[in-house]
Amino acid sequence: MEEARIGIYVCWCGSNIAKMVDVEAVAEEMGKLPNVVVAKNYKYMCSDPGQDLIVSDIKEHKLNRVVVAACSPRMHEMTFRKALENAGINPYLFEMANIREHVSWVHTDRDKATKKSKSLITAAINRVLYHDPLDKRSVDIDPATLVLGGGIAGLAAALEIAGSGKQVYLIERSGALGGYAAEIDLLAPYMNSAAQVLDPLIEQVQNHKNIEIFLESKVTDISGYVGNFDAKIEKKGKEVEKKIGNIVVATGLKNFDPAVIDRYGYGKLPNVVTAMEFEKMLKIGKVETKTGKLPKNVAIIHCVGSRNPDYHEYCSRICCMNALKFANQARSILPEANIFDLYTDMRAFAKGCEELYTQTSRKDVLFLKFEKGDLPTVKKAAAGDDCDMVIDMHEALSGEDIEVPADMVILMTGTEAHDDAKDVAHLVGVSMCGNDFFIEKHPKLDPVATTTDGVYIVGNCVSPKDIPDSVSQAKAAAARILASISQGSVEVEVTTAEVNEDICCGCQTCIKVCPYTAIGYDEEKNVSIVNEALCKGCGTCGSACPTGAIRSKHFTDVQILSQIEGLMSLEV
Amino acid sequence: MSQRVDPNLMKELESYGVKKKDWNACFHCGNCTAVCPLTEQGSMFPRKGIRSMQMGLKDKLAAGVEPWLCYYCGDCSDTCPRDANPGEMMMALRRWLTSVYDWTGLSGKLYRSKPLHLAVVSFLFFAVLAVFFIFAKIPLLSDPANVQLNSFAPVHVIELADHIMLAVLSFFLLSNMLNMFIKVVIKDKSVKIPIHLYFKEVWLAIWNFFTQWSFRKCEGKLYWFAHLFLMLSYMAMFSLIVLFLGWFQTDTIHPITHPQRWIGYIITAGLIFGSLYFMIGRARKKDRKFKFSHHSDWIWLFLLFMIAITGILIHIFRINGMAHLTYYTYALHLAFEVPMVVTFVAFSKWSHLVYRPLAIFFANLKKSTLALQKNR
Repeated sequence: MEEARIGIYVCWCGSNIAKMVDVEAVAEEMGKLPNVVVAKNYKYMCSDPGQDLIVSDIKEHKLNRVVVAACSPRMHEMTFRKALENAGINPYLFEMANIREHVSWVHTDRDKATKKSKSLITAAINRVLYHDPLDKRSVDIDPATLVLGGGIAGLAAALEIAGSGKQVYLIERSGALGGYAAEIDLLAPYMNSAAQVLDPLIEQVQNHKNIEIFLESKVTDISGYVGNFDAKIEKKGKEVEKKIGNIVVATGLKNFDPAVIDRYGYGKLPNVVTAMEFEKMLKIGKVETKTGKLPKNVAIIHCVGSRNPDYHEYCSRICCMNALKFANQARSILPEANIFDLYTDMRAFAKGCEELYTQTSRKDVLFLKFEKGDLPTVKKAAAGDDCDMVIDMHEALSGEDIEVPADMVILMTGTEAHDDAKDVAHLVGVSMCGNDFFIEKHPKLDPVATTTDGVYIVGNCVSPKDIPDSVSQAKAAAARILASISQGSVEVEVTTAEVNEDICCGCQTCIKVCPYTAIGYDEEKNVSIVNEALCKGCGTCGSACPTGAIRSKHFTDVQILSQIEGLMSLEV
Repeated sequence: MSQRVDPNLMKELESYGVKKKDWNACFHCGNCTAVCPLTEQGSMFPRKGIRSMQMGLKDKLAAGVEPWLCYYCGDCSDTCPRDANPGEMMMALRRWLTSVYDWTGLSGKLYRSKPLHLAVVSFLFFAVLAVFFIFAKIPLLSDPANVQLNSFAPVHVIELADHIMLAVLSFFLLSNMLNMFIKVVIKDKSVKIPIHLYFKEVWLAIWNFFTQWSFRKCEGKLYWFAHLFLMLSYMAMFSLIVLFLGWFQTDTIHPITHPQRWIGYIITAGLIFGSLYFMIGRARKKDRKFKFSHHSDWIWLFLLFMIAITGILIHIFRINGMAHLTYYTYALHLAFEVPMVVTFVAFSKWSHLVYRPLAIFFANLKKSTLALQKNR
């Protein structure tokens, strides 16, 4: 092995690190360690001049290993690997020491923080000494795409991909396309007809030569990896198999069932209806009570099932604007009625929404605020009262206990995950959060990808959102998929596991623990084999292997042990 | 006991000068209350009152004195981010409260209907002229230079009419005040005011009545001065003509140094200055507090101004010996004065003369009671 020539770079991260760590002293001391050729500190290592510093040092000092002490590797490991690549050395000959999240942000003693930084960097130096150069790998991409869910997000994704001449298989478990949007009368905030938006979309999808629609169908099994998935689709009892390269999950959410909230009387009081039931009334143009009378008092209650620790803590995002939409529609249909809007907070964040609120507030709608923990109660009015129901509430803006007369109560039900969301997650290999929403690869920077390459999540199955957001995500996923198809192949993880067949005893422990089903078994040789395209390099198999036959590339025993040794070498 | 929400109160309040636009606009940021120099812990306004209006909490509104604590400087309306004119809503609430206190219902009718208000005022105006036309004898026609006002309108007759009017109106005004007391104090079960506090706080109420002292916290000292000067002048005039007419209405012309002359001049100056100040303000509409005018505001100012003008003319004609003109103007003077007193003092705008100090009195009583309870 050639002699290691290491470059150390200590980042200030502006004042983020420098205020708690003596970065100059750290760099100076690290510079004295064996094999370290240069040790520098710089205000922002991730900036272009910061990266240029590494590139020019590699060339000038003939460095063959680099350690950057900065933020979390989740943030900038890729940035610096790229810099190494630009300088002409293998990107895996790099290690990062996290002295921001693990040091400066969490400690208050500057001396101790400085010492801890030194330890972490020493560990990184020890580790990087044993890094091997790893080569990139790529796999071919099958140009067909599987779209799960025929709601507006699924339709938008399917159309976008098919429009580029690529095959799409669109799977919908119900008998019709359109999802919940098909049951809606008008769309907030511009009050345009949902049918006028949705029908052309459905028609285009139905008539597209590149889209094969599977109604009343479900996917029973997906195997393979990015670019090369095999999907088993069950359509009315018959099973078809399709080869696909990418998957779009657009399975959406379902409406919250308000019957579990006793105080709203849903299911017991006939004129308490859900948002969807009111939509139906609007769609058929008949807003009336169960006894066929025009309601004189209409009350709309927000946050039903949302923003409440007893039901769901999250905000369902669509209900506030739908409520205002209902208030507007009710006002047009019932010009003389009293309209009450019982809300906790009016969330009008999207384009055109604040305007809808302002416009609605001019229409003699009485907005009554209740506190999140103090929900209103709907009850039958006393005999002889001139209204059907009475809502008791503590009104927060006046501080008064009041009763609101009502002949119709509309519950703005939130959304929640489908009961079988877990099955879908398991099928495509994505994780779920506590609310059973699918988890993005990165909530801010990679919101439609997942940790499973080739699987994209869009629309409401990720979190509640309105149509523009759902469609944006669908089209973003489509763009990602089309980009990978046009590349023809895709780079896959190289820090995978590998089996030393000489040592493997064939116990198959690794197969049981692998979360990505990436390990198979060779009956003939009696050894485990790793499918590198599926392997994520998580290392679970390596730690479970009783004989040490499985080695995780980039996480070898010697790398980790010497890292620990380095960590312990300094007194803290 | 929870109160029933009733948005239909809006329809009623609209006729008292609340604008639907303003009613809808307020979204309760509380800026108005924050900038108000008079609001304080325990009596918060205007936001809370606006909320009660929006929700149609009639009983709560009727029991509240907050609108009377406001002198309408207009700061709240100036700073309202939704342009909801909170100051004007308070003004309209005062009109509505006046009608709530008035058990006869006449007040509400006058406020709600401009034609009716004008009709009643006109009727009284012409009725007074008719009475003079029928009963008054123009004395010594042969000697117009010798003005004998007391022969034309003998003091004892006018005084008797004054006293009858005083008795009738006092009855109505006092019963309305009692009504207010019942609504604000008796029905409020949350505070039980000890009797001795009434005697303690009454002095402050009287002081406030004569100085409008709390008004001085508001912006605009000229506004306070015009308002106070007008009120004191009218009060003085009212006392003179009702209680001391014999001293005030004489046929002898006193020298200019005589109190009868200069007191009369000061009163007239107050009426002219006050009514002109408010009329010009309301006509220009530049100042927030004068931007919106109800018909009661205009009729009231017009009558006040005409009372002052005819008063001046009577005086000029009298000291210059112009007998006929003096008599006719005197009749006109009374024709303006009677509708003013009859419609406004007990049933409309002038009644705030008593409701406002009474409200301050009640508010202070409640405040002191709570302070006592706290200390105990």
